Amino acid sequence: MVLQGWESVFFWVFALATLVAGLLTVMARNAVHSALFLISALVSVAALFVLLGAEFIAGVQILVYVGGVMVLFLFVIMLVNVSAEERGGEELFNRTGQVTAAVCFVALLVLGFFYAINHSAARFAPDPEAAVSRTDREAARLRPAETGVSKISEDTQRVGASLYRYGALPFEIASLLLLVAIVGSVLLARTSKQELAHDDVDPQVIPELSAAGELTPAEIEAASRARAGDA
Amino acid sequence: MNSLFTSALVLLQGGVLDNFEQSIKHPDLSKFLIIGALLFSIGVAGVLTRRNIIVIFMSIELILNAANLNFIAFSRYLQEQGSLNAVAGQVFTVFIIVVAAAEAAIGLGLVIALYRNRETIFVDKIDLLKW
Repeated sequence: MVLQGWESVFFWVFALATLVAGLLTVMARNAVHSALFLISALVSVAALFVLLGAEFIAGVQILVYVGGVMVLFLFVIMLVNVSAEERGGEELFNRTGQVTAAVCFVALLVLGFFYAINHSAARFAPDPEAAVSRTDREAARLRPAETGVSKISEDTQRVGASLYRYGALPFEIASLLLLVAIVGSVLLARTSKQELAHDDVDPQVIPELSAAGELTPAEIEAASRARAGDA
Repeated sequence: MNSLFTSALVLLQGGVLDNFEQSIKHPDLSKFLIIGALLFSIGVAGVLTRRNIIVIFMSIELILNAANLNFIAFSRYLQEQGSLNAVAGQVFTVFIIVVAAAEAAIGLGLVIALYRNRETIFVDKIDLLKW
């Protein structure tokens, strides 16, 4: 697997963009800036996926991560953000000792990774002729696109077939996981006030809640009046 | 210390700087793996050093993306080697993205519940199980 020509230029551009955006994600003082840098890091990683010929995964990355997860992150940041950190009143990092230890650990980790990858890189050394001829053979098989300039990649088709042929059970488990996540996050983020308004708090619990100070009598009154109005 | 430095130098000469121009012009599998490793390390550094729990979650997303990059790079490599079912790496990446989405939803729900109770999102202030 060797990139050629413009592909390698784009590889270095997006690789550097990924690393710089990742570093800025960790270093930024404002959490919103962090989230925006993370979005650019994720988009750069999606571009690397395209360079690797995984167009479907790149699309999923943009749709799910940037369109879904990061929007959720931004919402939560804006809900809970403590502005003291942005103004510089609060420490950004942990105590100095912890940060030093963490940075030393990460430096060792990087050194180890470099050693391991360089050590084994020779074994993954490409056989250029074989790879090129295989790519050509594959390209000859592919259907031409409507414009006639390029060929339609079979990659997405293969991913779909593999997903349902070899990964059908994990696929179902993943859907169950998402269902549990939806229910769990709704349950976690709700307040007793909202539950009262939706009329699904056990009436016997209401005195306990008001005794615990979570609900004022006025709120209980208002909620029961609203319920009576609905009925 | 000196020996460590020398070994690092030998490492660079042996792998990265060896036919430097070739590796810049024609990045191969190992360059993708190195980018993935660096991204992972940045994520680990973020998890270990930041105080803001939301930024810690974002660093975890960086770590997961580094793993995804490795999976996709190996998938492409195996495809060119003519391996059967070489797209398994891409399928696995789909599952990682699903788990990351679920993790973000649950984690951020926890952050909101925590903020409602404690009025803080700094991990060093959250050190009690019950208050």
